[in-house]
Amino acid sequence: MLRQIWIVSALNFKSLPGRFWQSMVIVVGLAATIGVMLSMLSVSAGMREGYAKAGDPGRAIVISKGAEQEGQSAITRAMAPLIAVAPGIAKDTDGKPLADRTLNVGVPVLRADGSKGFTSMRGFSDKGPGVRPELKIVAGRMFQPGKREIIAGVGARIMFRHMQVGDKVILPDGQWPIVGIFSTGDQLEGQLIGDTETLLTTLHKTNYNSVLVRLSSLDSLTTLKRALTTNPALSVDVMRHSDWYARLADQQTFALALLGYIVGTVMAIGALFGCLNTLYSAVSTRGREIATLRALGYGAFPVAVSVILEAILLSVAGALIGAGIAWALYDGKLDLFGNTIFHLSVSPKQIELGVIWAIAVALLGGLLPSIRAARLPVVDALRAT
Amino acid sequence: MKYFPLVWAAIMRKPTRAVLTLLSVMLAFTLFGLTIGMNATFAKFKEDARDDRMFVFARFSGLVPVALERQIESMPGVEMVASSSGIGGYIKDPKNRVFVQMMDDKVAKVNPEYPITPAQWQMIRDDRMGMLVSKMQADRWHLKPGDTFVIASPMVKKLDGTMSWTFKVAAVTPDMNIFGQGYMFGNFDYMDKARTLSDQSKTGQFRVKVSDPTKTAEIAQQIEDKFANSATPLQTLTEKVAFDVTANTGMDIAAVDRDVALAGMFMVLFLTANSLAQAVRERFAEFATLKTIGFSDGGVIGLVFAEAAVPCLLGAGLGIGLATIISNIIPHFLPPGQGLPIPTMEVMVFVWAFLCAALVAFISAALPALRLRQMDIATALSGR
Repeated sequence: MLRQIWIVSALNFKSLPGRFWQSMVIVVGLAATIGVMLSMLSVSAGMREGYAKAGDPGRAIVISKGAEQEGQSAITRAMAPLIAVAPGIAKDTDGKPLADRTLNVGVPVLRADGSKGFTSMRGFSDKGPGVRPELKIVAGRMFQPGKREIIAGVGARIMFRHMQVGDKVILPDGQWPIVGIFSTGDQLEGQLIGDTETLLTTLHKTNYNSVLVRLSSLDSLTTLKRALTTNPALSVDVMRHSDWYARLADQQTFALALLGYIVGTVMAIGALFGCLNTLYSAVSTRGREIATLRALGYGAFPVAVSVILEAILLSVAGALIGAGIAWALYDGKLDLFGNTIFHLSVSPKQIELGVIWAIAVALLGGLLPSIRAARLPVVDALRAT
Repeated sequence: MKYFPLVWAAIMRKPTRAVLTLLSVMLAFTLFGLTIGMNATFAKFKEDARDDRMFVFARFSGLVPVALERQIESMPGVEMVASSSGIGGYIKDPKNRVFVQMMDDKVAKVNPEYPITPAQWQMIRDDRMGMLVSKMQADRWHLKPGDTFVIASPMVKKLDGTMSWTFKVAAVTPDMNIFGQGYMFGNFDYMDKARTLSDQSKTGQFRVKVSDPTKTAEIAQQIEDKFANSATPLQTLTEKVAFDVTANTGMDIAAVDRDVALAGMFMVLFLTANSLAQAVRERFAEFATLKTIGFSDGGVIGLVFAEAAVPCLLGAGLGIGLATIISNIIPHFLPPGQGLPIPTMEVMVFVWAFLCAALVAFISAALPALRLRQMDIATALSGR
């Protein structure tokens, strides 16, 4: 049986060049579908990756109860020390807990194209670098606590104007110099960082936004959560940092991803009809060939399989071409959507998704033509000119 | 017209092929309708935005003291300042996101284009818990005038320590383009008095109307400068920029939409060109016969063009129709609070679709037509 499938399919593939343009309908259809879909999804996937990398499962974020974003959360000065001494938090080399009182406010920036936008200005306290060891200074130096200095992310430096070392950022009580450029490999790279306490004073704010802690072990979240949520002096939520960012990513990218899938679905159905069209006429072109094979004793099943294999071969080739184009055009490109800076992404996982869609289209599009091929009346087909 | 049966017979010779081609074309134009319709929506946002208004809010997040309203109003060139603040929350389940804009008395004057009658505005003045709900939102949450419901908002701190805001539907009002998924308007004063003391007499944003539209940018700059060194530095955003999707997102979404529509057109062009070429090839002898019985080159070529035009134009019509239906049902299926713009099927979308369909038909037919013109009748008739 396998041998028969192999022979019939090989014969079929050999005749493909004779049906070159016709077959290209499937290839072009799927290339356009998957190319467009993955290009659109590169935005939401890229944003997701940026968020996912920022969310370390070894960290936990403490925010006020019910807050969905750092901006909505307020942790008072009285609450912060209570949070820091809770069990489950890793200790720094100096014996103090790795708990960082953070701030997150929007600051207006000028995008590279001259339009107005916002980015996040984060406050790090003394334990900030300890809690986020992925932060590396790539140019200039780290800001000094207590001083009106800030550092800018490598993404911000490219996507916004006036973000080089030595440039100044306008804050309420004057201009703050950028003293360094940092990298983190995640979405923080589109943001600015300064000293929490100094920023609080400047911004006339009294509350922190959150406390970010390094967990003493991956399992110590439960301990920490129990300690904080049962403390009557606190009204806070505790979330694993990776879960926190996964939720943010869902909120931020839902609409974009949905658009990508809607477009992908509509185009895939269009490509499906094209696929059906091509395969039906391929079956009728190969009518005599198929009839001859059947007359020689080959079964109906190998004939049907050969049609579906042809569909899969052409669809997957198309999908790979489309994915290749999307990858070459967009993968890794630094981009900006709203207030988030991220790298567009056409990852192997996305390409795999494209190939799966292509196979689905091929199976749906190949099924009916393959049944027709299998049921072809041998005598009539042989007689037909 | 008298040749129509001839064209029809040619198309229906292979009904499966004809139907499949038509469906492919239809889907490509559905996509075309959705994307270009989306761009029409964006263009309309921008067009509807007035150039004599701007939003003013805190430069570094947070709330703005309402007291600044007077100060801005007294600046030369400023006609009126209204204020509004938002309550973001949910109804019963965190999945049911809603956003209520709490409006002060002057919003009705600063935004006279809102489809709300003075009597309706008065309703939420008279009843502080009153709410104006747009048709779309009312349908979504099954609300009718007189209904009382609660919105939970973890974000807005209340004086009584709870997070529930009770509202009473005063009237159901018409929807607006700019609020693609509908809107809810409440009374600013109700919100203000119910917040924690430290947040009282503070607002989310001002809506500033200037008397001379050509001076908007200038006045915006003056407002920013005036408050730059105050306790609450302000940021301005002109309505034209606020409602410009490209400026808003920093991404040229209109161009993305055009590219998507173009990719769809390319796909369908390849398909129609192929199936037409095939159809013509199969009937080469028939065309030769037509020529033999006296059809001119032009006549035969005309038939081919007509054969291409029928599925393209019909498919375009059906596709745009389907896009219209989809645009109308999308809002009912989207999870609330996503604020997705809904495609608008305006005349220009139909015009562009028609032109593209005609172009696709023309290009598809060009090559087969050329071959028919150059064919040798004797060879073709002999079937070689």
